[in-house]
Amino acid sequence: MTPSLIKAHFIDGPSMDSQLRWLSIGLFVLIAALSVAPSLRLLVEALSQVTLSASSPLAEVLRSERTWVALKNSFYTSGLGTLIAVFLGCGFGFVTTLTNIRGRAVWVFCFMLPMMIPPQVTALSWLQLFGPASPILNTFGIAPALGSSQPMYSAEGIALLLGIQSAPLVYLALRTQLIALPQDLLEAAQLAKASPFRIWIDIIVPLCRSAIVAGAALAFVSSLGNFGIPAMLGIPAGYIVLPTLIYQQMAGFGNDMLSQVAGLSMIIALLVLAGMLLQQWIQQRSCYALLGHTAKSISFCLQRWRLPFELLLVVILCFILVAPLFALIVSSLVPALGMPLTLDTLTLSAFHEMISRQGVTKRAFENSAFLAFVSAFVLMIVSLPLGYLLMRLPMRTRAVIASLIEVPYAIPGIVLAIAFILLFAKPLPFIEVSLYGTLGIIFLAYLSCFLSVCLKPVLSAMSQLDPALEEAAQLAGARPLKRLIDIILPLTAPAFFAGGLLVFLISINELTVSALLWSAGNETLGVLIFNLDESGDSVLASAIAVLVVMLVAGLMSLLSLFASRLPKGVIPWHD
Amino acid sequence: MARLILENLHKSFHGEVVVKNLNLTIEPGEFVALLGPSGCGKSTILRMLAGFEPVSDGQITHGDICLSSKKHHVTTEDRNFGMVFQSYALWPHMSVKDNVGYPLKVQKIKSDERDRRIQEALEVVQLEEYADRLPAQLSGGQRQRVALARSLVTEPDVVLFDEPLANLDRHLRAKMEETFRAFHHRTGATIVYVTHDQSEAMSLADRIAVLNKGELVQWGTPQALYATPKNTWLANFIGRGSVLKVSEIAPQQYVNSTDLHDLIKRYSSEQVFSSVLVRPQDIRFVPADAFSIVVTVDNCIFRGERYDIELTLEDGQKLLTYSDVPMTINSLHHIRLEQAWSLESES
Amino acid sequence: MTMKKTLLICAAALAFPLSVQAQDILTLYTSQPNKDAQMTVDAFESANPDIKVEWVRDGTTKLMTKLRAELSSGVVKPDVLLIADSVTMESMVSDGYLESYLSPNRTKYENSLYSDQGYYYGTKLITTGIVYHKNAPQSPTDWSDFIKPAYKNQVAMPSPLYSGAALIHLATLTDEKTLGWNYYEQLHTNQVKAQGGNGGVLKAVASGTKPYGAIVDFLAIREAAKGSPIEFVFPKTGVSMVTEPVAIMKGAKNKVAAKRFVDFLLSQEGQQLVLEQGYLPARGDIGVPAGFPKREEIRLMPFNATKTLENNEANKARFSKIFEG
Repeated sequence: MTPSLIKAHFIDGPSMDSQLRWLSIGLFVLIAALSVAPSLRLLVEALSQVTLSASSPLAEVLRSERTWVALKNSFYTSGLGTLIAVFLGCGFGFVTTLTNIRGRAVWVFCFMLPMMIPPQVTALSWLQLFGPASPILNTFGIAPALGSSQPMYSAEGIALLLGIQSAPLVYLALRTQLIALPQDLLEAAQLAKASPFRIWIDIIVPLCRSAIVAGAALAFVSSLGNFGIPAMLGIPAGYIVLPTLIYQQMAGFGNDMLSQVAGLSMIIALLVLAGMLLQQWIQQRSCYALLGHTAKSISFCLQRWRLPFELLLVVILCFILVAPLFALIVSSLVPALGMPLTLDTLTLSAFHEMISRQGVTKRAFENSAFLAFVSAFVLMIVSLPLGYLLMRLPMRTRAVIASLIEVPYAIPGIVLAIAFILLFAKPLPFIEVSLYGTLGIIFLAYLSCFLSVCLKPVLSAMSQLDPALEEAAQLAGARPLKRLIDIILPLTAPAFFAGGLLVFLISINELTVSALLWSAGNETLGVLIFNLDESGDSVLASAIAVLVVMLVAGLMSLLSLFASRLPKGVIPWHD
Repeated sequence: MARLILENLHKSFHGEVVVKNLNLTIEPGEFVALLGPSGCGKSTILRMLAGFEPVSDGQITHGDICLSSKKHHVTTEDRNFGMVFQSYALWPHMSVKDNVGYPLKVQKIKSDERDRRIQEALEVVQLEEYADRLPAQLSGGQRQRVALARSLVTEPDVVLFDEPLANLDRHLRAKMEETFRAFHHRTGATIVYVTHDQSEAMSLADRIAVLNKGELVQWGTPQALYATPKNTWLANFIGRGSVLKVSEIAPQQYVNSTDLHDLIKRYSSEQVFSSVLVRPQDIRFVPADAFSIVVTVDNCIFRGERYDIELTLEDGQKLLTYSDVPMTINSLHHIRLEQAWSLESES
Repeated sequence: MTMKKTLLICAAALAFPLSVQAQDILTLYTSQPNKDAQMTVDAFESANPDIKVEWVRDGTTKLMTKLRAELSSGVVKPDVLLIADSVTMESMVSDGYLESYLSPNRTKYENSLYSDQGYYYGTKLITTGIVYHKNAPQSPTDWSDFIKPAYKNQVAMPSPLYSGAALIHLATLTDEKTLGWNYYEQLHTNQVKAQGGNGGVLKAVASGTKPYGAIVDFLAIREAAKGSPIEFVFPKTGVSMVTEPVAIMKGAKNKVAAKRFVDFLLSQEGQQLVLEQGYLPARGDIGVPAGFPKREEIRLMPFNATKTLENNEANKARFSKIFEG
């Protein structure tokens, strides 16, 4: 190369290339707008009326006994829920990823489904499953008497459903790590005469600790912010957690409570931040770089244990998926709530009503599908450079920014929605376009809320990448954008798709954020189901929920068809 | 082709000094090894040369161009350097051909020209028939040769090697050394080769920079390093031999047999001492006479073409020599030391 | 025929060029159930083809939260409100958010059903009575039944913290001499659960988790007609009532259309629609829907909107203290 061809860069930070600089600035603005602005707006609201007097809203929140009760309850249900999620998610992950079990794709497919069903629908179907009108229990004549207390209306009931709902989060986080474990680790341990159990305890679990912690953190955070389940199960039992407390404050006492509610949300946000720092600390201590790429992933041979394991999976799936779904379908096929399903009462009128008479159904499906798809797509695109830049930052800065991104996901959706209303109710400055009352505001809220969901697997994949791979491309003369597209993207593609898929599946049924942000013509599926249910049309709500489950299952099957053309590991329920 | 100059190069991470005041002038086409134990800063120097790390102070120039200084940094992408990594750093999602051709693709070279040059590069490393394989389907040595082909395909002025043989077995190493030598011969590129293995450095490099704790200890040809090492640390690090404590003498000079024997005898009665390096081939077994030194055979190890003999002097110091025939352990012998090289003490 | 219609529309458009233009947009915030809201909007649109209604539906309290957040940012989104109760409307009046409009149709209504200055008009009567599961061992007839030992932990009711109708129910019952706050304390002792809104009560009773409940009339009567195993009764002491008033926002973008919406709801046609939907129309001369007793047989408990508004926050706080500790 002749000297004249060499471009020298005079810049403040020597290793900073101009492409990188623009990328950083762009992403900085994005994070500021999506993550920091809503959190900041809330903080302003929370502190707006803070005076030194004991009657300031924040002081009142801190003094109120209910705050502390709700806090304790939130910890209990989310903690227990996380335990259940880790137990289920890891168990499922280890069995379906590491063994020679048959029909792997089917198991995983079924395991992912509960996450796709809206939480309030899950709660509803479980109530119907165990209630006095339970179609299944009635068939066997073991239904509880009228008015007998519901086992689900309890802290443990809430935790159980939270656990089932977030188990796939743990599973997905774990799976990415498990398929990266090379077979030689297993062989080395087998040569050391370690039993399968010992190998699992001594080698696989420690290597996956970081992924398990990440999944558990995700499960905990999403349980902490979950509204649908504690609202359906907790409120009737007088059991309050932070999100339902916020909802009750908002709903019961109107907008004057906004500052108090913002104060409560800040408490949750702080809790979540503390949790995340703890998680990062644990992850740093248990992160092992896996050298090289082995084509073959670990696979245990189960031998005579295979059938018992398969039967166990069947039982678990019946319990967490088949039975509630069955109850849901049954309740969508009766003319009115509480009627038994017989050949005489069986009717498709609810479906008929929702599909052909109510325009809102089609709209809600279109809106939700559009929002979910575009959010997932945009976030995938954003996560690539964002994850890349974050990995180049010093550990501490990275932790701070990652936490900032996490805050909107961690604070309950209702509160985030309020923040967005406060931010966007007025037309945007300069361009005089009002986002409020359009799908745009929900879209932005989704971006803000789910950025961390998409980013997590991406960051985890990038941190496992050998830095030399990118340096080699740098030496080849590839600039940052080219390196991102040619090297980093293909190598971390499974993580991107996993992230995008998660966002899609979570947002297609999203309720709490859109509950306040939706407007006429901009209904989402979650809102539609919730509103129908709330105004007493449970049958119609069940019908829509059945359609949603069918839609999601259909989409997942469609993806399976394309699995062979996508990179390995892109689709979680496919090898 | 241009000269690569490292001037007062300085690097620290978070206040910890990793490279201190380094000066090296590397001639065009020269094969230079950076040798030292792990943690001596040699990899950092390589990364600064590649442009991955900015320099803390001093500068790196290539011909007339300043590549790195405190205020100025030419990015890696603009340097036209090649590099071979210890982990090979092959992109697992690309075939051998695509891996090798990627730098050309980035430079937007037309596909027929590109194919020709990929073919050429693969010929150099004798991997033509593996062009369509994925890296995961290759052995370690083959992977390293792909990495080599990739580093030479753009005909870079400078190729950097970062411990390229560390992950290979001994048999393959010898073969790869031969490949590297041929590669250097054929391309005439300037090569900077980082290793902790002194025999690798000695057999490959024109000149070697030996580093310890971030500082340059000595910079010279392998022959010079072997014959005239600077201090005791280096004498122990390079080649085989024994460092003896003797009575005081000026450093950095050859000591003839008569003086050496005298220094050894005087050492036992004086407190101050100097160190000298005695190479095994400079020790000769002789019949007993007034000059000879009495030694005991400590150990005798068969090495194929000869035996390693470990000896103990009367004052307990150890010596290493060779013998064509085995020697009885604990037997007494007389030796004469032909010459030695006086060393600076380690600071 | 089509030609004629087109001409008519053109003429109409020309007649009011500055006020109502073709496909004017009217924004409605309502707490009616989805289906009913859709019916109301459809009927209004077919009667006024030049106006297109965009509507937002949510529970009254949540809807108000949303509206208040918008108002505090200085934006008036809806033109018309159609929400559950007059107390909420009173609070909007006192905060100066409503536009007064004297509808010519008001003469057909009792004075108590609309505000004197024409800020809001009741459109229907929604009473809160008693519902029970057909297989339930007891057949409750009055409010006092709920505090009997046989009903312990068997009764569900909507929470006044969620539902506007339930809040007025609370105000009405605590004002009633035979019941009062003492009644609510006894309800709590008897482990009555306040389950979200009226929809929640319907679910609880119909599915049998709580065989008895307090609920708004139309929901229970309509579901029972569809075959749900429940029964609705108007208690002896009387029922509480909300009027689902309609009001025009001050600062509404489309006041002309808003006024036509109010007039439509109060018209014979609008009230007939209310009847079809299964509600008790506000206009006395319309009749009652199937499943309801005669108008004279429904005993309404007295209720004072202004006083209720004053006590609203105190009532909520007191309720919340009794039921949620």
